[in-house]
Amino acid sequence: MFTSLRGLSGDLVEITVNGAPLQVVAGQSVWSAMALNGFTVTRKAAVSGQDRSAYCAMGVCFECLVEIDGLPNQQACLRRVSAGMVINTQHITEASEVYHAEL
Amino acid sequence: MQSFDCAIIGTGPAGMSAALRLSELGATVAVLDRAPSPGGQIYRAVAQSPLATPDKLGADYLSGADLVSAFSKSNVAWMPGADVWHLGDDGRIFYSQDNRTQELQCRQMLICPGAMERPMPIPGWTLPGVMTAGSAQVMLKSDAMAISDAIFAGSGPLLYLIVAQYLRLGIPIAGVVDTTPRQNYVAALPMLASALRQVGMLFKGLGLLREIQKSKVPFYRFATDLEVVGTDHAQGLRFQQDGASYELSGDAVLLHHGVVPNLNLARSIGLDHVFEPDQLAWRVKTSPFGQTSCPHIWVAGDGAGIVGANGAKHAGELAALGIGCELGLLDDVGRDQLAEAPRKASAGQSGFRRFIDRLYQPAPDLMLPTRDDTIVCRCEEQSLWDLRQGFQSGARDPNALKSLTRCGMGPCQGRQCGHIVSGLLAKWREEPVADVGYYRLRSPLRLLTLEELARLQDGESAR
Repeated sequence: MFTSLRGLSGDLVEITVNGAPLQVVAGQSVWSAMALNGFTVTRKAAVSGQDRSAYCAMGVCFECLVEIDGLPNQQACLRRVSAGMVINTQHITEASEVYHAEL
Repeated sequence: MQSFDCAIIGTGPAGMSAALRLSELGATVAVLDRAPSPGGQIYRAVAQSPLATPDKLGADYLSGADLVSAFSKSNVAWMPGADVWHLGDDGRIFYSQDNRTQELQCRQMLICPGAMERPMPIPGWTLPGVMTAGSAQVMLKSDAMAISDAIFAGSGPLLYLIVAQYLRLGIPIAGVVDTTPRQNYVAALPMLASALRQVGMLFKGLGLLREIQKSKVPFYRFATDLEVVGTDHAQGLRFQQDGASYELSGDAVLLHHGVVPNLNLARSIGLDHVFEPDQLAWRVKTSPFGQTSCPHIWVAGDGAGIVGANGAKHAGELAALGIGCELGLLDDVGRDQLAEAPRKASAGQSGFRRFIDRLYQPAPDLMLPTRDDTIVCRCEEQSLWDLRQGFQSGARDPNALKSLTRCGMGPCQGRQCGHIVSGLLAKWREEPVADVGYYRLRSPLRLLTLEELARLQDGESAR
């Protein structure tokens, strides 16, 4: 289980993950904010649609791709949370129809 | 467009020490890293640790603070959060900052791409809850986040270090499954004598192992046939030990069996690479100063062969001296004089490195998958069976196999499957990996939106 050794210390910001409003420590990675709140599935596998989650946490596996503020394919381990950020598990697979990203 | 004498990509020990030396020599230097703060993986967040007791990570980690502090005080143009997605042999660099592409020009380019963990393609390694042991350290350093009740599995100094760090911080561990093959201890013995010259390093390593063995954490050695247990999430690890089967329960499985150079930046410019037999990995071919097959492009640190943090620092200094000489900031004699100290220091470490490389050489059955249904390419979900079919249909080299099966074509651009695919083809062709080659890579090196590309076309990025 993912645990924080510093708890909710320091400045907090509000973000939304899969529709849930969360208070998280400002400046932490999107991945750690998700994982500490139980949102460990980042995306679906492109072919099988199986659940995937962060593997390397340093930007070389691309398993933690999520949607941030409407933009898909964002590496959750490299992005940092900021106030008002809206994060969603990415559901794009090979079977997805035309996808409209909000630009 | 901004223009610099030298652009350095990466702020690990190699990049930072090179930047400092070049700026001392009077060069204008741009330094780019996609991280928000300098340090690379090894000294990640060392200047602003979120941990109450960062000393539990060890003195080696804390020692990076001096270099980071000197770097932060220097007059280099430091560009944090700059994710480089194109390197040109014309000295042009495109990088993305907050999803906007910027551009700069440099006369000399130094790539310090660092290392990444060697992927371990075992059954179930794509399940949520399976991560690398290095990721546990990354999360600890940058966000004070831990995974409790995890199983650590694999081999090598970094694995033992992170386990020891977890123990010191009181984070519960479900077990440690060591996969170092028994024969490695015999094979590494002849290298022990030269490793003894770095007796301090040797004792440090033994100390870590003692810390683990002294703890109450279940510790299994000589494990083989690893398999993650779980259907939609990792729940444990199955393995064999001396003919007996074991199954260990845990909330996560953290894998590690050494590191390999992070190849994609250097590969994308088409720099010459060699396959390093001692490290079983591709590395950029460089001169002693780090100069590559493209004379104004240099590579230092783990990207030019795994040398570790101290080795990378020395390599960074040497590259800076080579570059300084090319820029006319010092002559050959001055360069060679200044090079003596870092050269001697790195030569002094090579004996220990060879010993460690041999002792912790990954088990062949963990480097290459053995079961047909094991995924090799995580992005495109290509299994060992799929790839063998591709090979039997006539795809004999990595690029042909990529075209036929889509392996290496997903968002990670072969970072995970590249070494495995080269290794599998070498095995099937019964030829050396060096003859099989590697994927041909091209920019962009990160995922870009069409909008970001279009903005670049409009010239919006040119400031």
